[in-house]
Amino acid sequence: MPSAREVIKHFIESEGHRVDAAPVDPETGVGELLFRTRGQVFSVTTSEDDENILSISTAYEIPDWAREQQNTEALDRVHKEHPTVVFTLAHDGGLFVATLDERAASSQELMNTFWTLVARLRDAGAQAIEDIVDRTESKVAAEKFINSLLTDFQ
Amino acid sequence: MTDPLRPIEVALGDEGLFFTRDDDEDAYRVAFKSEGDRYFVVSYRDDPTFVMIGSGWALPGGVDPVEAVDVANRLNVRKKFVKTALWQEESDVLFTVELCVGNASEIRPHFGRLLNVLRDTAAEFFEQLRPEAPEP
Repeated sequence: MPSAREVIKHFIESEGHRVDAAPVDPETGVGELLFRTRGQVFSVTTSEDDENILSISTAYEIPDWAREQQNTEALDRVHKEHPTVVFTLAHDGGLFVATLDERAASSQELMNTFWTLVARLRDAGAQAIEDIVDRTESKVAAEKFINSLLTDFQ
Repeated sequence: MTDPLRPIEVALGDEGLFFTRDDDEDAYRVAFKSEGDRYFVVSYRDDPTFVMIGSGWALPGGVDPVEAVDVANRLNVRKKFVKTALWQEESDVLFTVELCVGNASEIRPHFGRLLNVLRDTAAEFFEQLRPEAPEP
């Protein structure tokens, strides 16, 4: 019987995408698959102990000029709107990882909803990066305005 | 003669997608899937500067062809690049991007964008065809 990782790998390939597969960890039974869609790399984590669960993750780079402490708050806000997606800042705030865990009644159900899950993750991630960039841009604009006022009044 | 669709194969590699070739005496053809949806790229041997990227879908049963043409016309006015057409006795809808290029390698850096426009146009077409929920 094929492993959970093999079933999902075969599915993604049958949908047209090349898949890189890391070997299953013999101790944890966790396997990882990598594929690209719409220019973004996604990681799928499977479990040999339970073929009805998987986890999908994708990373977004935060531009240098937008890396600041308040990005955690921005990610918290987006998480509230997309409660099934968890955000984790990494690389000293240089990127964040968006992760969606899914449990289904069967591996077939996982495959039936797979691209919907990917789209949900992509929407949440895109909104998060947009919020971070927009907020930082408006903050920079506000600072420029305040600085110009201060300069004018000197 | 060099294969005019070879740069498309490279672009598909960039996107992490599999493809198949189905050339014949008239045309060069590439077929591929993305997120399970089928697409094709065609260039003709007697006109290799013409390249068409597209996807075809069956219209759901019960769709009013007049309404479908109306939705297609509105998309044709509004959408960049993509042509939407009812096809095969109005039972299918075809979304195509038609380009004139010196070499298909010109398409490579824009291939992801063109695929996105095809996807978005198909999604909008079917979204607009969907009957609105009745008032409660």
